[in-house]
Amino acid sequence: MAMAAPQDADLDNGILFLRDVVKTYLMGSEEVHALCGVSLTIADNEYVAIMGPSGSGKSTLMNIIGCLDVPTSGFYSLGGESVANKSEAELADIRNRLIGFIFQTFNLIPRADVLHNVELPLIYGGIGKAERRQRAMEVLERVGLANRVTHRPNELSGGQRQRVAIARALVFNPSIILADEPTGNLDSRTGDEIMQMLDELHASGQTIIVVTHEDGIAAHASRTILLRDGGIESDLRRDNPARSMAKTSR
Amino acid sequence: MRVFLDFQESLRIALSAIAANKARGVLTTLGIVIGIVAVTTTMTAFNGMQTAFREGASAVGADVIYVSRMPWIVMGDWFLYRNRPNISIDEAEALREAFEGRAIVNPTMNENRDMKFRSSVMDDVTIIGTTDKLAIVTNRLPETGRFLLTYDVKYRKSVVVIGSTVADGLFGQASAINKYVLIGPSKFRVVGVLEKQGGSTFGGPDFDRQVFVPITAFTKQFGGRYFGEVDIAVKPPAGEAEAVEDLEYEVIGEMRRIRKLRPAEESNFSINKLDSLMGAFNSVVGVVLLIGLLVTSIALFVGGIGVMNIMFVSVTERTREIGIRKAIGARRHSILMQFLLESAIICLIGGLIGIGLATLVTYAINASGMMPARISVGIMAAAVVISMIVGIFAGFVPAWKGARLDPIDALRYE
Repeated sequence: MAMAAPQDADLDNGILFLRDVVKTYLMGSEEVHALCGVSLTIADNEYVAIMGPSGSGKSTLMNIIGCLDVPTSGFYSLGGESVANKSEAELADIRNRLIGFIFQTFNLIPRADVLHNVELPLIYGGIGKAERRQRAMEVLERVGLANRVTHRPNELSGGQRQRVAIARALVFNPSIILADEPTGNLDSRTGDEIMQMLDELHASGQTIIVVTHEDGIAAHASRTILLRDGGIESDLRRDNPARSMAKTSR
Repeated sequence: MRVFLDFQESLRIALSAIAANKARGVLTTLGIVIGIVAVTTTMTAFNGMQTAFREGASAVGADVIYVSRMPWIVMGDWFLYRNRPNISIDEAEALREAFEGRAIVNPTMNENRDMKFRSSVMDDVTIIGTTDKLAIVTNRLPETGRFLLTYDVKYRKSVVVIGSTVADGLFGQASAINKYVLIGPSKFRVVGVLEKQGGSTFGGPDFDRQVFVPITAFTKQFGGRYFGEVDIAVKPPAGEAEAVEDLEYEVIGEMRRIRKLRPAEESNFSINKLDSLMGAFNSVVGVVLLIGLLVTSIALFVGGIGVMNIMFVSVTERTREIGIRKAIGARRHSILMQFLLESAIICLIGGLIGIGLATLVTYAINASGMMPARISVGIMAAAVVISMIVGIFAGFVPAWKGARLDPIDALRYE
């Protein structure tokens, strides 16, 4: 199938643009089609939930969007730049500057303190110490953890850990925040707090993609993409997302 | 800037990783410690041997040319030298006249005899018949008393200057000066005791077991006026040491003239120098050192394998951390550097501990009096460099494995 050339208009509109993305894995001698031709445009400051049962290609799509993996075929661009034919180092730079990851299991470095965890993307991005410290402190204040900078992750509660992860995701001012089941390891009250924080980030102009299997989480988004068997089953926009109205403490 | 930050971060991770696994680090380091102690001690011992040899051999005199029947180091065909005529006193005298005013020429003869003072006996002391010029040639100074004088030589005085070992053996703490000793059947008066020379290693001459008598008295008491074997030392005047090379050719020429050799004939005498002795020593001990280093580096190699093993463990343990770092933008080389530094630092710590222990071993060798072993800055620097190289080699494969991990697999790793 000839690859459809992306239209300029689409690129202008979308901060993130996928066209006919296919991902095939080789399991032994058998080919497994994790994604079979996904096309998707996400605009700046959208709040998107990606849902789907396990095996639907959800994780694969997230890995490709997060530049942790590259498509077998198809077109993918992020921030107006094609991801195709990028070297490992260039992909690392894209992950570093354009994408902020939030994981279900927080994925903080256990031996580093909070400040260092948040500074890490800036270190790999080559930002000098003074600016690094300032930017890290800014985002830590934003997530309300400025008074916890010298703590190790294991000295923090789950909610606090996830807030550190959010600060880390934000610190390089990324094009998109990519959250994979961000409340999966949290109790519902703490989970609500985290979602509230994501809502606020969205309100301040941040593009957010949440991968989840919980309807309650997806309800925060203004658009829900449902995957099934490696393809998009539905793509629904919601006019009144169930945003939490309570203010988070600053 | 970015490379520097990368390095800084890698160093920070490496140090905290080592700090977090102290016991493991210590055990891992042990192999490197043993390896470095072995290698360093080998080098130190070699240095010690060399120093001992040089100190001892300095009595030979660095710029002195010796004319002898035989070369000091006989390589191969000994029988070629066997039929050479002895160098006679007359030949020595002829050579002295030829170099009158240009160089110091000093003949020596030697015999081994027992020495006696009252009931004390020393067997097999090297009796050297020589002139007052020996003191200039070898820079050996009397500790007490005096050296031989022109007068002693001219008037065939039965006086003797003794080495420190002989003095200790015959007189102990008492003064030897003006005591009469028996050398073989003849009576000699002790006029001086020489400074301790030291360094009688590896079957070389024991300079402190030598005694010196006037060559005239020597030939009278021990015979050999016509059949004794003379060694001639030729020393260039002070300040013209660079002329040794030229002097050597002149000495060869003069000796050939004295012996009336035709141009086609080979010289039937040998020219010996400290250099040739040092060269022979270095080639022999150099081989020993090489074998020693080869054997000891096996210890280091085994230590390196231990480090490699533990680095594989370290990489596997931190698979998830590698995934996190990669997800937030670490490049391969950042991960590579992180683990290379860790293993280099482990080995460096081992190396430093090893240097510390080797220093103790060196002191022990010194204290035991085997040889004047000394651990030099050069050896320490070499040990540091070697241990870090071992660390980098041992760490490379594990670090490469970590750097190449797929971020998705690494993040999923439990």
